[in-house]
Amino acid sequence: MAAAKQAVARLSEGPDVVTGEGAPAAGVPAGRGAAGRQVLPIVEGLVLLIALLLPLVLQDYLTVFATRVIILALFALSFDLVWGYAGIMSFGQALFFGAAGYGVALMARDLDITSIFLILPAGTLIGLVAALLLGGFLLLGRYPASVIFVSLGTLTGSYAADRLARGWYYLGGQNGIPSIPSLSLGSTDISEGPVYYYLALGILAVVYLLCRFLVRSQFGLALAGLRENEQRIAFFGYKAQHLKAIVFAIGGAIAGLAGSLYAFHEGFVWPNILGVVFSTQVVLYVLFGGSGTLIGAVIGTVIIEGVSFWLSDNYRDIWPIILGVLLLLVIMFRPLGLISFVLGERERVGRFGKAPKETHNAAP
Amino acid sequence: MSMDHSHLTRRRFISNFAFATGAIATGVGSWVVRPDWANAAEAPIKVGIATDLTGPIAYAGNADANVAKMVIKEINAAGGLLGRPLELYIEDTASNESVAVGNVRKLIQRDKVDMVLGGITSSMRNAIKDPIVARGKTLYIYPQLYEGKECTPYLFCTGPTPAQQCDEFIPWLIKNGGKKFALPSANYVWPHTLNVYARKVIEANGGEVVFEEYYPLDQVDFSATVNRIVSNKVDVVFNTVIPPGVGPFFKQLYEAGFLKNGGRLACVYYDENTLNINQANEIEGLASCLDYFKALTKDDPASAKIQAAYEKDFPGNFLFAAGSAATGTYRGLKLWEAAVKEAGKVDRESVAAALDHAKIAEGPGGPAEMVPGKRHCKMKMYTAVAKNGTYEIVAHSNGLVDPKEC
Amino acid sequence: MASSFAAAFEIVSFGAIIVLVVLGLGIIASMMGIFNFAQGEFVLLGAYVTYLASAHGAPVWAGMVAAPFVVGALGFVLEALIIRRFYAAPIVAMLGTYALGLIIREAVRGLIGGFYLTVPEPIGGSIDLGSVHISTWRFTIIVVTLVVMGACYLLLARTSFGLRVRATLENPALARASGISTPLIYGATFAFGAALAGLAGALIVPVFSLFADLGIRFLIQGFVAVMVGGVGSFIGPVAGAGVIGTLSAALPWIMSPVVADVLVFVLAIAFIKFRPQGLISGKGV
Repeated sequence: MAAAKQAVARLSEGPDVVTGEGAPAAGVPAGRGAAGRQVLPIVEGLVLLIALLLPLVLQDYLTVFATRVIILALFALSFDLVWGYAGIMSFGQALFFGAAGYGVALMARDLDITSIFLILPAGTLIGLVAALLLGGFLLLGRYPASVIFVSLGTLTGSYAADRLARGWYYLGGQNGIPSIPSLSLGSTDISEGPVYYYLALGILAVVYLLCRFLVRSQFGLALAGLRENEQRIAFFGYKAQHLKAIVFAIGGAIAGLAGSLYAFHEGFVWPNILGVVFSTQVVLYVLFGGSGTLIGAVIGTVIIEGVSFWLSDNYRDIWPIILGVLLLLVIMFRPLGLISFVLGERERVGRFGKAPKETHNAAP
Repeated sequence: MSMDHSHLTRRRFISNFAFATGAIATGVGSWVVRPDWANAAEAPIKVGIATDLTGPIAYAGNADANVAKMVIKEINAAGGLLGRPLELYIEDTASNESVAVGNVRKLIQRDKVDMVLGGITSSMRNAIKDPIVARGKTLYIYPQLYEGKECTPYLFCTGPTPAQQCDEFIPWLIKNGGKKFALPSANYVWPHTLNVYARKVIEANGGEVVFEEYYPLDQVDFSATVNRIVSNKVDVVFNTVIPPGVGPFFKQLYEAGFLKNGGRLACVYYDENTLNINQANEIEGLASCLDYFKALTKDDPASAKIQAAYEKDFPGNFLFAAGSAATGTYRGLKLWEAAVKEAGKVDRESVAAALDHAKIAEGPGGPAEMVPGKRHCKMKMYTAVAKNGTYEIVAHSNGLVDPKEC
Repeated sequence: MASSFAAAFEIVSFGAIIVLVVLGLGIIASMMGIFNFAQGEFVLLGAYVTYLASAHGAPVWAGMVAAPFVVGALGFVLEALIIRRFYAAPIVAMLGTYALGLIIREAVRGLIGGFYLTVPEPIGGSIDLGSVHISTWRFTIIVVTLVVMGACYLLLARTSFGLRVRATLENPALARASGISTPLIYGATFAFGAALAGLAGALIVPVFSLFADLGIRFLIQGFVAVMVGGVGSFIGPVAGAGVIGTLSAALPWIMSPVVADVLVFVLAIAFIKFRPQGLISGKGV
């Protein structure tokens, strides 16, 4: 009870840049959400509606581009889970994305497997296992790992994987693995276009709902506590590092799923999808859209990829600079991301399980 | 690079306005070159070029784009192809395979080009051939020297193959360098496959491969390699390290005294463009075997004409050179033009059937003809040595050399 | 004998390059507790300034002398405007400096047009010791690195300015109460770290050639080196840089370069995991 009161009191303080290590910024932007109305489902519904109708209005070539954005949004979702909900600044999500991409590419090249029922689970599994291994190594141990160490560890993992893939000729070296055949469903090929689009969208929607369910469950409640105050949660008996490792593994699995979709959509994999630049790209998407909201990750991806595509013909030189400036401004002044313009803090933190009548945030 | 501003517009799929051509000079972004025929009544034939306008191989990509502009302009000036004007669409592959695939998709799906020519490194070719040939069902011409073994239907190669580059070159190296070879290489498909062929020829001619090593593309510290070369008393360094590593590598080799002690550098992609990467003394005596060198213009009028036309339109740093795929681009476009003329149509099947046996009488370095059924091109080959910063031709083939592929 | 001497020289020269890059990173990390993700881009800026000087006809060494001052001044300005806000939380600092680095990198990429540009060495050629040839320029880099390291140490340990810096580091509140202007000290320290990176960039550009992604490879190696060496002291990051640089240069002699590349990082992370405080723990010089 006291904890809830404190949490509520904290929320009404003025905006602060950051209130502590590991936690995403807390602050109260003036928004409609503060009044208690539910904005989040409206935003989510709107995004889903637009996504469903998009292929009907776009040319084929743009639908292919939109599919790619959806797959990247799935990737961004994995990062939001890990950073926004468990406070792990993973600079190496691309490691899981790329490992799965390479894994399924090898399966297609060496074992002639292209069936969707084998490829997608394989990709997810590769991401899961890789994340369990790396997360286990970085997070578990006698002493709790510092946030800096974990982020540097993931950064290094991604970089090392990139160098390894670049140097190992079996994986194609600098070339990567080209000419990946199409994903197949039984005897039909799922080629790029509206079909692949709806497949990716369907997967994104399902994963999104699963994540939503996860973060609103009791497990999610423990995560919320972890974000607010890790030490206190540990005193309550929760194994903080184990919680983190579990979320990290789930994030890795989602990233792996995205990676396998990407490999078959683009038709080739290469070392850059394992590396640091790609890892930090997904950090950009989530930061921009708003971490800790799931939909923010999707929105951030869509905006950045969409604008960058639209400007790519004319302002390709300047756009990355503008992007960097916008990002810097967001970090400095609006660390909650663009979503905070419509979403209040209470809604961002969310409700867990069944809400008791007295408070908005569930009490232990 | 001089541009004719009135011909250039930026295509936007949302709005139509011309973008300041200042930015076009750097070659970033996609753009279109349209013929200056007023009210061209016939639908244009669309040619797509996908090449590295930025990145470590940009010196070659820009040269290729320039050649394409020059050839298209010539064809349009002569009345077009089949009476229709040619439109040129250029996209940047940026030495980044992911960006390249996205941009190539624009050529195929948005611009709906009738043919794509481009790709320089083999990794780029491998990345973009699928979107072009398989998914895009479009004809693809690959203009650069490479490792061979590319037998994909509708994919035509107009650059030299290992057989053309090694069969006469390596015996020359053994005679003018020595028997002990080292094969320092970049770690990707071209050096791996080329070295297999080169090793065969080296050993068949009594030479010996002392070592064969592969390095990441961005490696710039070659001290271990240089040491191995010097201590093993290697005579010929048959190099397949590419930019950005090749400059530091040759410099470090020079500083270790390799050339002073009589060693010979050999590099089959080294042309006039790459000569500028190092100081002249660092690459003195470097031997290369290509389908064209600027020194040929003294003796071959056809080559001289092409070289002069290029230099008139594009004075500057991007030279018309064979190791940069520029000659392959010229050859590819002219062979394609001949094929379209023969077929009378632009659809892939007809053009491919005609291109299969196309010939041109005048090309850089000499005539060229496609080998029927093989989708590779016969051409004349020349061996040249770098002397004081320019090439001197020391040997040439008797007639056209067979690519021996597929 | 000669070849092991050549090997030793190459290893030391490569290690020196890393030390130079890491010195700035380590100082900023130790003194202000933040990891500057833009440090690689300061190296890039130093290289770019040098290139600009030589492209406009000035002698290369003039560009090299100017680079640290230009980059240092920029660092001072950036610290006052932006970096200052990030001291509260290291994670935000990482993200913010990453964004800053992105801006700088893309700006340079736009300016040099995506090409790889070469800069000639101010002192070319090689020193011949019997059968061993040593690149004069790389030898110069080693000498400059040693001089710079020595000067840094003297500055921090023997001058009153250094004393004030260390005081601010130990106890900012007390330092402020004693009249030491803390914001100025922080600004100067960040500028100093940036200047060191700029110098590193200027010195290595003849060796590596100038391209927009030059900074990224040094960033990763730099961070790993700082963590291996230990944050909080001056000697720590230097020791870390020495170890990482030496390993990176030495391992390719005994195993395939690809494996060596990856192994260095794997070993470093494992080392940090089991000894989080790094090689040299403890604050101060």
